[in-house]
Amino acid sequence: MVSTKFYTAIYVVLFVSATIQVLVEFAGLAYWAAFGIIIVLSAAKAVLVAAYFQHLRWEPRSLTYLVGIGLVAALALTVAASYSLL
Amino acid sequence: MSDTNPERTGGGSERTDGGTEVGSEVVSGGHTDDHDHDHGHDFPGTGSIKRWFVTTNHKDVGILYIVTSLFFLVLGGVLAWLMRIQLWAPRAPTETILAPVAYNQAVSAHGLLMVFWFLSPFAFGFANYVVPLQLGAKDLAFPRLNALSYWLYLFSGILFGVSFFQGGTFSGGWTMYAPLNVPTFTPDVGASTAVLALVLFVASVTVSSVNFLTTMHRMRAEGLTLRNMPLFSWTILLTVWMMLFAFAALLAALMVLSADRLLGTTYFAMESPAGALLWTHLFWFFGHPEVYIVFFPALGVMAEVFQTFTGRRIVGRKWFIIAMVLVAIQSFVVWMHHMFLTSINLQVKTLFMITTIGISLPFDLMVFALIYTMLKGKIRFTTPFLFVFGALLLFIIGGITGVFLGAVVLDYEFRGTYWVVAHFHYVMVGGVTALVGGLYYWFPKITGRMYDEFLGKVHFAAYFVGFNLLYFPLFVAWETPRRVFDYAPELAPWHQLATIGGFVLGLSFLIMFYNLFKSAFTGDPVSDNPWEYATTAEWAVSSPPPLENFEGTPTYRDGHLSFILDRESDATGGATAADGSGGATADGGVATSPHTAVTTEYEPTVEATEVEGPSHASIWPFVLSLGAFLILLGISPLQDTAFPEGMMGAAYATTAVAGFGVTLGSLIAMGLEPFHGPVFDEGEAWPFSGIDNGKVGMWIFLASDVVLFGGFLGAYIFTRFAFGWTGWQPVPDDPIPGLVNTYILLTSSFTVVLALVAAEKKHKLGLVTSLGATFVLGIGFLVNKALEWQHLFHEGLWLSTNVRTSTFFLTTGLHAAHVIAGLIVALYLTARAWRGAYLEDSRSVEYFGLYWHFVDIVWLFLFPLFYIL
Ligand code: HEM
Ligand SMILES: [Cu+2]
Repeated sequence: MVSTKFYTAIYVVLFVSATIQVLVEFAGLAYWAAFGIIIVLSAAKAVLVAAYFQHLRWEPRSLTYLVGIGLVAALALTVAASYSLL
Repeated sequence: MSDTNPERTGGGSERTDGGTEVGSEVVSGGHTDDHDHDHGHDFPGTGSIKRWFVTTNHKDVGILYIVTSLFFLVLGGVLAWLMRIQLWAPRAPTETILAPVAYNQAVSAHGLLMVFWFLSPFAFGFANYVVPLQLGAKDLAFPRLNALSYWLYLFSGILFGVSFFQGGTFSGGWTMYAPLNVPTFTPDVGASTAVLALVLFVASVTVSSVNFLTTMHRMRAEGLTLRNMPLFSWTILLTVWMMLFAFAALLAALMVLSADRLLGTTYFAMESPAGALLWTHLFWFFGHPEVYIVFFPALGVMAEVFQTFTGRRIVGRKWFIIAMVLVAIQSFVVWMHHMFLTSINLQVKTLFMITTIGISLPFDLMVFALIYTMLKGKIRFTTPFLFVFGALLLFIIGGITGVFLGAVVLDYEFRGTYWVVAHFHYVMVGGVTALVGGLYYWFPKITGRMYDEFLGKVHFAAYFVGFNLLYFPLFVAWETPRRVFDYAPELAPWHQLATIGGFVLGLSFLIMFYNLFKSAFTGDPVSDNPWEYATTAEWAVSSPPPLENFEGTPTYRDGHLSFILDRESDATGGATAADGSGGATADGGVATSPHTAVTTEYEPTVEATEVEGPSHASIWPFVLSLGAFLILLGISPLQDTAFPEGMMGAAYATTAVAGFGVTLGSLIAMGLEPFHGPVFDEGEAWPFSGIDNGKVGMWIFLASDVVLFGGFLGAYIFTRFAFGWTGWQPVPDDPIPGLVNTYILLTSSFTVVLALVAAEKKHKLGLVTSLGATFVLGIGFLVNKALEWQHLFHEGLWLSTNVRTSTFFLTTGLHAAHVIAGLIVALYLTARAWRGAYLEDSRSVEYFGLYWHFVDIVWLFLFPLFYIL
C-alpha cells in the first residue's frame, strides 16, 4: 500500500488543521463565519482519517456507502428534529 | 428452556424414511463426538442440558429464541388479562382490582414485553433457524456472537422481570414519554431497571444485526443472488438493516434516559428546553421503523406460506421486493406522524403526513400481490395457511385504520384513544398471527414430526374468533381514553366483549401448546419436505437438518439447488429448491432421492473435514451475558451517581463490581478460546465480495455506532437549538485542554497505523512499540480529561448542574467510554503481540484500528462542538 512517509504527511495535516481550528476561534471572526470554517475543517479531517487511516479509499465503495447511510440517518434526525422546533 | 430438550431429542430419535442416518440428530451427535477428539471442545447431544448452555449452532439458538419468546408471550398475556379484567367495568381509582399504579405498570410492562421480548425474538427464532438454510450457509458468520445475542436477550428479559420486585417496574407506558420517564415521576428503582433491561436488549439486537447482515451479504451460496433470495430471507435482510440503524437511535435515547435516571443529567427534565419533545423525536425515529421491524418477518412468513400452499410463485415477485425495500427506506422518514399533537410546526406535520401517505402505497402493492397469488393458485387449507390468510385480513383492517391516524386532522380526534390501541393491535398481533402460522409451518422441519392438523385448525378457529372479539369492539368503543381504566359507562358492553375475546384468544394458545408439545414426541415422522410445493432450501435437507446443514457445498449455479462434493462427479443430484426458479414444479419426490445418494457419498468427506472443522460450543457468550446482567442490576439503584445508603447499596455496588469482573474475564476468555467459524467458499457476496467477514462486521457495527453518536449529537444540537444557539456557551472556558486531547488522539491514531504497517512487515518490535504507544496515549487522553473534569467539578459544574453541562459531560463521557473499551483491547493486543501474535495474520490489529480511528473521528467533531463553538 502506501508508505509510512505518506501516513506521516496525513498526520501532520491533521495536526495542523486542529491547531487552525483553535486559531480561527481566537481570531475574532463573526460567529457564523468561524462556525463554518471550523466545521468544514472537522469534516475534512474526518474524511482524511476515514480515507487513509481506515483505508476506505482502497476498499470497495460499498463500505463507504454503508457508513454514509448511517451518517445520513443521523443527520436527517438532527436536521428534521431541529427544524420541527421552528 | 429445559422443555426444549425432550422436544429435540424426540424429534431426532427415529426416522422412517429410510437410510439417511446423517440426517437425524442422533448421528449428528455422532459427528460431534468426533469433534471431541479433534478439538477438545465437548459438544453434547440435544438431550443434555449442557448442550443448551454452550451451543453456538444457529438451529439450536433458533429453538432457544422461539421457546424463550413464547415464555414472554405468556407473561405479557397474563398482564393483558389483568388489564382486561380491570376494564370489565369503568372504575373510579378507589374501586379498582389492580391498584392504579399497578395498572399503569401492567400496561407499560405488557407493551414492552410484547413488542421487545416476544414479537421480534419470536420472529428471530425462525430467522436463526431458517435463514442460513435458505442461504446455503452452514451457520451464521459469527456463531459465538449469535449465542451471545440470545443470552443477552434472555438476561435482559430476566432483568426486566427483576424490575417488578424493586418497588415496581416502569409505569409510564411503553413509549416512555418524557418527563414521566424521569425519577421525579417514576421514582422506583424498578423503573430504572426496566430501562436498563431495554439497554441490554438493544445490545443483543445490535450484535444480532451485525451478525445477520454479515452472513446474509457474504455467505450466500454460489448463484443465490439477492434477486433470487427466498422472500422470508428478504424480509429478514430488510428487517436487520432497519434494526441496525433504528435500534442505534433507541440506544442513544435509552442511554440518555439512563443517565437522567442514574447520573442526574437533565435532558428530559421538565425545566429543560424541549426535553419532552427530544424524547419523542428519538423514540419515534426508532419507533416507526420498529413497527416494520416487527412486521416484516411476519410478511416473509406470509409470502413463503402463500407460495407453498397455493403452489405458485408469488405474483410480481420483483415488485414485491422493490416495494419492501421502499418501505424499509421510507420507514425512517415518517416518524413525526406520532407527534401530530405535540408542538412541532404545521409545515413539518404536513410534510410527515405526506410521507405517511407515501409509505402506505407500497404496502397496497404487497397486499394485492398476496391476494392475486391466492386467486391464481390452488389453495390447500392447512393450519399454516389459515393463520397466514387470517393475518392478511387482519392486516388489511389494521392498515386502513392506520391511514385515518396518518391524517393530521383526524389524528387530533383519535390520538390517545382506543382507536390507536385497536389499530396497532390489528397490525402487530396480525403479524403475530402470521408468525404463529410460521410456527406450524416449520414445526415439522424443526422437530422432524408433524403436528395434529385437526387441533391446529381448532386453534385457528378459536384464535381468529378470539382476536376479533377482543380487538374489533375497541374500534367501536374508540372514545375510551387510552391507558386509563375509567371510561364512559355506555361503552361497558363493548369492553366486556373484548374481555371475553381476550380470554378466548389467550386460551386458544393452550390448544397450540398441547398440540405442539405432544406432537414433538409422538407426531408422525416427516420426510424432508412434508409440504410438497415448498421450494426453499430448508426443505431439501432432512427434518431436522444435520448439524452443519448440508452435505457438500450448496450451489445454485445451474438455477436450482445442488450440492458439490469433493468429487465433482457426484454432484449430479438436483434437489429442487431454488426459490424463484423452482416455482410450482418442485415436488417432494425429486427432492429426496438424489439427496439420499448424495449423503451416502458424503460420509468420507465428513471425516476429512472434521479435522479442521468448525466449532459449535462455547460457554463464554453465556458468562459474558451474565456479567452484563450483573453490572446493570448492580447500577440500577443509582441516583445522582450515588448508591443508596447502607447494606442495600453495598450489595448493589458489589454486584456491579462482580459483574465487571465476570464481563472482563469472559471477554478475555472468549478472545483466547480457539474457535473456528463455519467454513465457506465465497459464493454470492454482493456488495461486500472480497472483504473479510470480520472487516464487514466491524464496519457494519461502526455504521450503527455512527447513529448512536448521531443520536447523542443530535440531542445536543436539538437542545441547544431549543435553548437558543448562540446564547449557549461551551462548558469548558478554555479550549486548550481539548486541543491537547485532540493532538493526543490524532497521534494515537497515527501509532495504530504504524502498528499495522509493522505487523504487515512482520516487524515484531515495531508492532509492540506502536501498540504500546497507542495504549499510553489513550491513558494520557483519559488523564487529561479527568483533570479537566475535576477542575470543572470544583467550579461547581457537574452532570446535574443544567442541561448545558449535562450534554457536555454525557457526550464526552460516552466518547471516553469508547476510549476505555478501545484501551482494553489495545492492552490485550499488546500482550498478545508481545508473545508473537499478529505477524502472520494482522487482521485483529487492522480491525482494532478501524474502531480506534472511528473514535478519533468522533472526537474531531466533539472538540469543536463542545469546546470552541
Ligand atoms: C399501513 C400503514 C400504517 C399507517 C398509515 C399507520 C399509521 C399510524 C399512525 C399515524 C399512528 C399514530 C397514531 C396516534 O398515536 O395518534 C400509528 C400508531 C401505531 N402504529 Fe401504525 N400505521 C401503519 C401500519 C402499522 C404497522 C404495520 C404497525 C406494526 C406492525 C403499526 C403499529 C403501530 C403502533 C404500535 C402504534 C402506536 C404507537 C403508540 O403506542 O403510540 N402501524 N400508526
Ligand atoms: Cu408510525
